[in-house]
Amino acid sequence: MPDTDTDILTDAELRQRFDLPWEVVLWNDPVSLISLVVRVLQKLFGYDLPTAERLTMAVHHEGKAVVWTGEKDKAAAFCVALHGYALAATIQPGQ
Amino acid sequence: MSEPFHRTSRGIAVDLPGPLRSWLAMMATEAGSDALVDGPVHRRLLGPINPTDDHDDPVSELQRQFSVEGSLGALVESAHHELLTEEQAEEWIRALQLILVATAARYEVASDDDVAQLGEEEANTLTTLQAFISLLIEGLDG
Repeated sequence: MPDTDTDILTDAELRQRFDLPWEVVLWNDPVSLISLVVRVLQKLFGYDLPTAERLTMAVHHEGKAVVWTGEKDKAAAFCVALHGYALAATIQPGQ
Repeated sequence: MSEPFHRTSRGIAVDLPGPLRSWLAMMATEAGSDALVDGPVHRRLLGPINPTDDHDDPVSELQRQFSVEGSLGALVESAHHELLTEEQAEEWIRALQLILVATAARYEVASDDDVAQLGEEEANTLTTLQAFISLLIEGLDG
């Protein structure tokens, strides 16, 4: 059993243990339509149209954007849901 | 082609010629097959959600595989239906998007430059799939 006083936690373990936020990152791809991305962001995250459009344009112009921040399990579930629409998404520890 | 997808009191009406429906079903079957074997389509559709990992955990990976197969299978099954339920229409959007991205991965398209360098037939295929997605979204939400 590890000595918990001296055990060194990875960043991921630390975040999980203390419930620190994770981010869902949506990546630009050259074939997905802007209208599709806007619709999916509204449908999955419940964003209003201006928010969904702002995030979509950030993805389009900057190559990626953080579209959601929160608990790791929820972030993973959202990421999987985005993959259900073949959108390129990943999760990462919050910055 | 005028309003191939539109709402009616009985569901979402699909007004497409038979050969186009068969082509979509064939594309869905092909994308499903490619997603199962290691290659660009599999990596694009089923790559790990956490890029620091080589793979998702096996349960999550299996769930995602079922999700892809489910959406593509739903399109194949309902490809020749005249009417779709709301749920089926949403599966069509997911499936068409999966086909589009799988096809782009097969063409090794990763950037706007890659799209610009595609041959006419490949470019037409992607444009046709994008048009279907756009028309279906309009039909559902417009």
